[in-house]
Amino acid sequence: MPDAVTGRTIVDSCGSSCPGPITDLALAYRRAKVGDVIELWATDPGVKADVQAWAAKTRNEVESIEDQPGKIVTVIRILRR
Amino acid sequence: MQRVLIVGGGSGATMLANMLARRCVETLVLSKSASHMFQPALLYVAFKNASPRIVRDERRLLDRRVRFIREPVTRIDLTARTVATAAGSWYDYDALVVATGVTTDPDQIPGLRALNDRYGNYHTSVAWAQKVWAALDAFRGGTIVLGQASPVIKCPPSPVEGILLTDELLRRRGLRDRARLVFISPYPRAYPAEPMNAVVEPILRARGIEIFPFFDVDRIDAGTRTIYSIEGEELQYDLPIIIPPFVGADIAYDPADVLDANRFVVTDKETLRIKGFDNAFAIGDATNLPTSKAGVGAHLEAKVVAETLSGRPARFNGRTHCAVDLGYGEGTFVIGSYTAPVLKYPPSRLSHAMKMMMAHMYWLSLRGWLEPAFDWYFARTDPDKRREAEAPREQARPAA
Repeated sequence: MPDAVTGRTIVDSCGSSCPGPITDLALAYRRAKVGDVIELWATDPGVKADVQAWAAKTRNEVESIEDQPGKIVTVIRILRR
Repeated sequence: MQRVLIVGGGSGATMLANMLARRCVETLVLSKSASHMFQPALLYVAFKNASPRIVRDERRLLDRRVRFIREPVTRIDLTARTVATAAGSWYDYDALVVATGVTTDPDQIPGLRALNDRYGNYHTSVAWAQKVWAALDAFRGGTIVLGQASPVIKCPPSPVEGILLTDELLRRRGLRDRARLVFISPYPRAYPAEPMNAVVEPILRARGIEIFPFFDVDRIDAGTRTIYSIEGEELQYDLPIIIPPFVGADIAYDPADVLDANRFVVTDKETLRIKGFDNAFAIGDATNLPTSKAGVGAHLEAKVVAETLSGRPARFNGRTHCAVDLGYGEGTFVIGSYTAPVLKYPPSRLSHAMKMMMAHMYWLSLRGWLEPAFDWYFARTDPDKRREAEAPREQARPAA
C-alpha cells in the first residue's frame, strides 16, 4: 500500500537473497497502478542489475539506485501496468 | 509450568512439539488434519509415477506426551491469548507457535483453477500430482509450458526440477524430439538466485529447454490455449503444468495487522516472534521471513523456538539448504543464509543420493532422533563459514 505521506510504496527486501528482492518487486507490481512509485530496499547486491532488467522488460522507469548505509534503495516509477 | 499451543500439523509443528515434549513442556497441537504428508515426494508422484504412499497419521509421529486435537483453527486472538476452532472450542495458552504452512490459491489468476483441475499441479495433494502424471503419460507431442504462476512459491527449486524431470521422461520415452519444452519464470532468470542460476541455466539450455524469464502469469485463456504474462507476452500450450500462487492459512487474527497481503504472519526474522508479541512465534512456510519456504527452514526455526521457550533465547540465521533434482540422477543444493548469499554448488550424484535419502530419513527426523547428525551436517555445510574461507582466496586471485 502506498504510504499516506510520501505516496510511495515501500518494499523492504533487506536480508532476502533467495528467491530475492525481485520477488517482492514483482508482487508489488501486481498490485500497482500507473503513476505509482515503488521504493525497493534490499541488501542483495544483485538487485541493481535485476531491477534494471526488470524495468527494461516491463517498460517501467528506474528513477534512482542509491547505496545507503546498510541497504540499496531503488526507486521505480510505474509507467505501464 | 508454561503451556505451549502449536497451531498446525506439518514438519515444523511436529518437530517442535517433539522437541518440547523431550524438555517436558506441556504442549498441545491443534491441526485441521491428522494426515501428515512428505511434501517433496509430490514431485516424484507427478513426474515419475512414484508410489503415492507419502502420508502418515500425525498422531503416530508425535511424542506420546504431546496432546493432539484435530480441529481447524478459525481465529487467533493474540491480545487475549486465545485460539478458537471451527468446532466452537476455545483454547488459551502461555506461549503460542503458529506453524500453519501455506496453501495454493489458483483463484488469484483468471483461468488457472480450471487449468489445474484438468492438468493438476504438484504442490497441492497426491490426487493433483497424479493428474500431472496422467497428463504427461498421455502426452504424445506438442508444447509443454511449465513454471510458477506468481513469484510467491513454496520450494523455489521445484519448477526447475519439474521441467528437468519432464525432459528426462520424454527422452526415455523417445518423445523428446516431438516436444517443445518451455520454462516460464517470473524472475530475471530461470533460477532466482544468480549463483544457482549459473549451475541450472546451462543444464536447461543443454537439454533444449526454452526459458522465458520475467513471465509472471496474468491470465489463462483455455479456449485459445494461451497464457498471458503481466509483462505483455503470450505463450500457447498443449500441456500446461502451472504451479499456482501460495497464501497463508485462512485464519482471522486479532490484531489483523500481523498478516501481510499474502496472509503470511509478520515475524521477526531472527527471534521468530510475531510482530508485537513476546509470547507468540511463527515458524515455517506460514511466516513472511525473507527466505525460501522449505522444510529445512521449518526444522531450524523449530529448534530456535524450542530453545527460546526453554529459557535460552536463540536466533534464526536464515539458513536454507534445499536439495535440487537435476534429472538423470544428478542433484545440487541451494545453500545460503541471511548473511551468506546462495552459493554456487556444482551438480553431483552424491547430492542427488542425499535428496533421495531424505525421503526415508524424514519420518525419523520428525521425532528428533537424527538431530545430532543434522547438527553436524549443517555445521559442516555452513555457508557463512564457507564464504569466510573463500573470501581471502578471491582477493588473492590475480586479475585476469
